[in-house]
Amino acid sequence: MVDDSKALFLQIAERVEDSIVDGSLAEDSQAPSTNELAAFYRINPATAAKGISLLVDKGVLHKRRGIGMFVAPGARRALIAERRAAFATNYLDPLAAEAHKLGLDVDELTQLLRERFTERTKA
Amino acid sequence: MTRISNVVRLQLVNRQAYIFVPLIVLGGAVLIGFLVFLLVPYGGPKYAIGATAAPLWSFVVVGIQALTLSFPFSQALGVTRRDFHLGTVLTAALTSAMLALIYLAIALLEKATGGWGMRGYFALSGLDGDAPLAALASYFTLAMLCFLSGYWCAAIFKRWGTVVLLTVLVGVSVAVVAAALLVIRFGAWDAVVGWLVSQGVLGLSAWGLVLAAGLTASSYATLRRVTQ
Amino acid sequence: MTSVIEVEHLTKRYGAATALDDVSLSLAENTVHGLLGRNGAGKTTLMSILTAQNFPTSGTVRVFGEDPYENARVLGRLCFVRENQKYPDHFKPVHAFRAASYWYPNWDQRLAERLVSDFQLPTDRLIKKLSRGQLSAVGIILGMAARPDVTFFDEPYLGLDAVARQVFYDRLLEDYSDHPRTIVLSSHLIDEVANLLERVIVLDKGRVVMDAAADDVRGLAVSVVGDAAAVAAFATGREVLRRQSLGNVTSAVVKGRVSEADRARLAGSGVEVTPVSLQQLIVSSADGGLDQGGGVGAVAGSRRGDASVARARNGGAR
Repeated sequence: MVDDSKALFLQIAERVEDSIVDGSLAEDSQAPSTNELAAFYRINPATAAKGISLLVDKGVLHKRRGIGMFVAPGARRALIAERRAAFATNYLDPLAAEAHKLGLDVDELTQLLRERFTERTKA
Repeated sequence: MTRISNVVRLQLVNRQAYIFVPLIVLGGAVLIGFLVFLLVPYGGPKYAIGATAAPLWSFVVVGIQALTLSFPFSQALGVTRRDFHLGTVLTAALTSAMLALIYLAIALLEKATGGWGMRGYFALSGLDGDAPLAALASYFTLAMLCFLSGYWCAAIFKRWGTVVLLTVLVGVSVAVVAAALLVIRFGAWDAVVGWLVSQGVLGLSAWGLVLAAGLTASSYATLRRVTQ
Repeated sequence: MTSVIEVEHLTKRYGAATALDDVSLSLAENTVHGLLGRNGAGKTTLMSILTAQNFPTSGTVRVFGEDPYENARVLGRLCFVRENQKYPDHFKPVHAFRAASYWYPNWDQRLAERLVSDFQLPTDRLIKKLSRGQLSAVGIILGMAARPDVTFFDEPYLGLDAVARQVFYDRLLEDYSDHPRTIVLSSHLIDEVANLLERVIVLDKGRVVMDAAADDVRGLAVSVVGDAAAVAAFATGREVLRRQSLGNVTSAVVKGRVSEADRARLAGSGVEVTPVSLQQLIVSSADGGLDQGGGVGAVAGSRRGDASVARARNGGAR
């Protein structure tokens, strides 16, 4: 569940972002509290708090005094834009490297991608 | 003061070591004493002083375990060595006093009943007509000395180990034997016995308490640097 | 962050053996610290000196700014149940808990009872008759329910099964969330506790070899496996904690972060990059770690790798 390569608080922030991107955590709804995150991911509450404050700094969450953290309006759109920008580096570069190693050319790769997409839409 | 009384409470959370075990030993020994009085077909006064001495031995064990087991536990709870020591010696004093009172009750009872109607005696004071205070003081002092000798030996053992403890014990024995030899050598035996008799039970108890105070102080000095 | 314990140049010798060697560190208020290291690394000795149960050969210890020795004001705010803690002979767990409740004003009897049922601890059995795991549970319950300002847990999981250990970690996090305090968790099961920690202190043979924020330790090193030349190229200018070769394949644990560009280049040359867990990192950093699993043609990497990991503490300043 937890990956050793990255600081835990970054991973916690990403998990919360994931929920916002996939819509399970709607805009204007209340985000999980530090203690809930700590208990759920079995991590130190200070680490969870650090992840949350990162999202506050990014403008993804905002604090309502005395109530808790809420998802900012427009957060989903912003996160999707950010992830699209990083998509090529994070996913396409390794894909291209591996394809190159295996001797797959662009057409073969495109064909494979098309098949996968069709399967996904069927499922 | 609260901290010291907390140590007493800690020592008595489980009353077994300080109270029930000595009482059970005493009760058992007295019962056996009664049987002996009944079964021995002797018309004169019968003495079973060992029965009332038996619980004193359990105090040696209590003293040892106070240092080897209760002390480490108190350390886990952040109790200072001083508070532990004072509270523990106070607990021993309280329970020694309890045993001394029971001993006194036995002495008075057997005196009143003519040796339980069987001319059988458990308490020394029952026979020689000593004052109740002397019975109380002597028994209290013996109980404290038993406890403190266990506690003192355990402190030395915990701090310096077996070799040092054995050396100290051998040293004490040699000193006692040497003193006895000197007394014999100079033919002072009568003088010593005379002095002992002149002190009486109360006087000897007072000397015993001086020794107990010495053991308490030296145990504390040792305990201050004991590690686990 | 306020520090509650300050240790300077602490050394402890037993005859010729050195249990602690010039240890300097500070423990922060309301923080969970991991005191990690192999058995015999000096963890218990350190904790026993911090709680004045043992004495330094040289160096100073300050707890809440004071010398803890015979200092009731300081000691009353600490609880340190040893892994091999002794209890009075006739004690049952219930007696130990009651005794602790006299000493700790924050003692939470309800928490104690809840933990008793979580651990299925028989409170009416003599402590000396308990199993290893049940004995550990008694220590855990004392340390948690007492809620002192600083709690030391000394390998608290010994004899506990996986479920019970998880119960401990969960309850500790939960209670710590509600009642923040300083916790020192000594452990050699490093991966198991890694996520609970904010600060990581690693002892090896009595020396501090790492003292860093847990976040900074994560990703401090990577394991790279693949073509020897590509690995060597990547490792140039970086610190290699451990290196093994088999034929033309090299496996190395290399310090430093991997940029996206590095990652792409390594992927391009077929080198597999995997994160190094805290446990692997410590095993690689400790001198002893280099002797483990040395296969054919194993080459010891930087023997003094541990000294440089200690420098990570500067990067971890909070």
